[in-house]
Amino acid sequence: MAKGFRSTRGLLVILFLLSVVACATPPVTEQVQAPVVSTPEAQAPEESTPEAQAPEESTPEAQASAPVAQQGTMTDVGTPRNQTVIFQTLDRKTATPDNHNPLMAAYALWRGFRELGWGYLWEMDTATGKSYPELAADMPEVLNDQHTQFRVKLRPGVYWSDGVEFTADDVIYTLDTYFAGKGKLTYFGVNTITNYVKSYKKVDNYTFEVETVSPAYDFATVMGVYTWGSAFNIVPKHIFEKEADLAAFLNTKPVTLGPYVVKEYDTNGFWQLWERREDWQRAAWGADNEPKPKYVLYKDLGPEETRVLAFVQNQYDVDTFMSPDSIKAAIAKNDAITTFSAKLPYHEMSDACGYGVLMNQHKAPLDKKEVRWALALSLNLQDVGINALSGEFKASPLPMVDTRILRPIYFEPLLPWLKEFKLDDGYQPFNANFATDLTNRLTEMGIDPAQLPQGDEAISNAFGLGWWKHDPAQAEKLLGSVGMKKGADGFYTLPDGTPWELELVLPGDWNKVMQRMGFSIADSWRAAGIKVNARQVDNAEFGNVQNTNASLTTVLNWTNCIYNPNYRNAWRSIQAENLKDANATEPISGNPYRWNNPEVFELVNASVQMDQSSEEFYETGRSIIKAFVTDMAYLNIMNIPTTVPTNSTYWTNWPKEDNFYALPYPWWSSAKKVVQNIEPTGR
Amino acid sequence: MGLVQYIGRRLVTYVLVLFIGISITFFLPRFMPNDPIEGYIAQMQSQAGQTLSPEAVDQLRESLSDLYGLKGSLFSQYVGYLERVFLRFDFGPSFGAFPRPVSDLIFIALPWTIGLLVTTTLVSWTLGNLIGIVAGYFHNKRAATALEVFGILLYPIPYYILALTLILLLAYTWPIFPLSTTIRPGTLSFNQLGMILYNSALPALTLVLAGFGWNILSMKSLAFATKEEPYVTFARLKGTTDWTRMTSYVFRNAMLPQITALVLSLGTIFNGALLTEMLFSYPGLGLLMRTAVGTADYNLLYGTITMSIIAVATAGLVLDLVYPLFDPRIRYR
Repeated sequence: MAKGFRSTRGLLVILFLLSVVACATPPVTEQVQAPVVSTPEAQAPEESTPEAQAPEESTPEAQASAPVAQQGTMTDVGTPRNQTVIFQTLDRKTATPDNHNPLMAAYALWRGFRELGWGYLWEMDTATGKSYPELAADMPEVLNDQHTQFRVKLRPGVYWSDGVEFTADDVIYTLDTYFAGKGKLTYFGVNTITNYVKSYKKVDNYTFEVETVSPAYDFATVMGVYTWGSAFNIVPKHIFEKEADLAAFLNTKPVTLGPYVVKEYDTNGFWQLWERREDWQRAAWGADNEPKPKYVLYKDLGPEETRVLAFVQNQYDVDTFMSPDSIKAAIAKNDAITTFSAKLPYHEMSDACGYGVLMNQHKAPLDKKEVRWALALSLNLQDVGINALSGEFKASPLPMVDTRILRPIYFEPLLPWLKEFKLDDGYQPFNANFATDLTNRLTEMGIDPAQLPQGDEAISNAFGLGWWKHDPAQAEKLLGSVGMKKGADGFYTLPDGTPWELELVLPGDWNKVMQRMGFSIADSWRAAGIKVNARQVDNAEFGNVQNTNASLTTVLNWTNCIYNPNYRNAWRSIQAENLKDANATEPISGNPYRWNNPEVFELVNASVQMDQSSEEFYETGRSIIKAFVTDMAYLNIMNIPTTVPTNSTYWTNWPKEDNFYALPYPWWSSAKKVVQNIEPTGR
Repeated sequence: MGLVQYIGRRLVTYVLVLFIGISITFFLPRFMPNDPIEGYIAQMQSQAGQTLSPEAVDQLRESLSDLYGLKGSLFSQYVGYLERVFLRFDFGPSFGAFPRPVSDLIFIALPWTIGLLVTTTLVSWTLGNLIGIVAGYFHNKRAATALEVFGILLYPIPYYILALTLILLLAYTWPIFPLSTTIRPGTLSFNQLGMILYNSALPALTLVLAGFGWNILSMKSLAFATKEEPYVTFARLKGTTDWTRMTSYVFRNAMLPQITALVLSLGTIFNGALLTEMLFSYPGLGLLMRTAVGTADYNLLYGTITMSIIAVATAGLVLDLVYPLFDPRIRYR
């Protein structure tokens, strides 16, 4: 017995020592130094600017005084809080914190590379939806009538962060690399660009020419930026050409074109710190308006439960996709926290993509437009918006988001048509008073009138131009017209008398807003007599359902990503050749609506030959929209309610409704405007 | 049965368990309705504003399928997988972090999981058992009852609630600890160690409190029953002190099932502590596994689950081999 006990003690000691060793073992770490600037001009400020050395000097103190960081003097990563703007990361944690190679899909793209590190030929002005030159000196010059040949002039005087000048050689090298690396480089842009570009050549150090495969009226947005990212990530030739295997190259000390460089990152993927370049005036952007924060920290502050606490403690400045409930809780505790607008729906609603229900039109009974319309008319969107989103949403009946950019071109011209639009039986489904009705309901619910929009225009801007009527009786009539009647249990049956059970796939807790919406939609349909099986899935299954006919009945998803008047990116794949059999198990490559409408195929084909800023192009788009509505090919619901609350304790002048200079999103080109326009409070 | 035969049989069982476990691990994710490639393509379609043309989608699908090793029949993939795992202990590249090997991701997360969970498991086991033996042996005393009540109160609190309560108290109301983990890179130094301990303290405290209630209650029950054994009565009649009987007679015998529980607990630490990692933004295997499931990263799933299978099977093997050392009544026959 005694011997056994001694063995036990020995075992315990060994385990304890193991644990201490494990605990004390440092993580695999790597500290990225600010790249050394090689030109004399650039070296000078680095050597002489005291601020440049401050973070390094203060590091030990910062480490030792981590608890003090919450009091507002230093951040947890050792930078002065009043020189550091802190964004909550969009993806919380990245699995690849040390991969900074933009030619690979799995690089740490949500850590600010797109916003602060890379530079693009043309960027997107999120306030207007117009492209503007960034690395290019101007918009592309069209060289032929077919709109397939372009000349691009680059802006001289742009330098990589290591002091090497950016030239056409970098562009040509990147194009060469895309074509040579096809099949090995996993970044989606490699496939996009190699299918788009036919040939290219350097003209001189600041000029190159490109020929595209097809007429390319969208040249500036495909080679530059359309919505979030760019297919064409230009890489530094002088760095990448030294690597034998670019697929394995991590680029952990990235040389950047933007005015920031990676200073430090968490090898576990929870945060990344950027530092403004000493020569930021020579970067791809920022020379006209100095980026204000010396440091930008992307950091995961935890799940919403702890993020709210951190937000109240002023530990960070901008959150993303925080739920309305959490935002209210934070605002109640800290006056410095505000939403985009003081009035409902409180948030900016201009994300390019919208929420809607994708219906598999190949599968009975969804192959009948009467059934699809019945689903639309059975949905009580006011209930859904109030229950799932506290009324903080903007409805859109058309298959695109209702934004300040798209409304004058597509929504307003189509409003008279919507009001007059009739189903085959003469029923008029459009409710132009949707926003006013919603406002009245919110008033009855006791919402402070000061927080509600006043006047028709403000109400329409806030909650949308209208949506479909909630009319279960008309839905019953439509379903009855195709042989679907309610059974004894109050739920509809199929024409053969068997119960109709509709599957609605929705995201699990990886997208809580959609999860809540999905359950609320299912409740609404059930109340109208449609038996719904609402099934939550993980994101990998979600993509599978979306793209596979055999798996899809209906899915609540985000699609139709249209930011400026060019709708082709979203709709160009509406073609017969992208349709597959109703129960096909191989994934589709386009036409996610499973929509078989030859007239629309022709309209989509015709649009490729049109100038995308022409009235002809817009009118073609309106015709496609009318066909979408007539067939109810996609049940569009609302703009994505993008919640971006900000904290003005350390930084002010955030983009707000009454101070609108860009979208408030810290993850898009708007982030560039944000860091240029915010001001320190001096705390 | 001799010692060699005993060890031989246990080793054969061990290998068999590993083979079956690893085989199941291969097939289970394949039967999930997830698809790593479609998941990625759907993400890209939304991020890229659907600039991916149908032709580009087809090509991307083809090249990813090739790079991820998802071409060929399921059987040929299975054979390749067994060969890689058993002969080279190689799980291939992670799909989500391609082309980074799965082993890299695991070995980055592993020290954090081991450091946190081994420490907290041992602390909660030791504290719980010490309190439990006192509560069980002196079960008539008020102080012992109070200790038991403490265990009863603590044990049923869901971990999530317990952790949030501690966060509210110790990181918000009295901000002694950080709300989320921030470990800066650097070489091992006192500062670095201090930073790790400072950031790990609150997660560790929640795990210890969540774990040791069970240890108190189980040890208390065992001690109470053991105390009534004839050999303890005999020792009391011989005039031994309470301390001697509690430590040498009751505790040592009551501890045997607790050792089994401890070893198995240590075996399961390779599953990570998902809730802890999520709540505190703490690195570890739990989040790695969660990500792998969500994105259908088969190889990463194989790697993490296989580690867990090996750990649990090894814990069982070690227990089988060393148990006779703890309990002389057990022999190899």
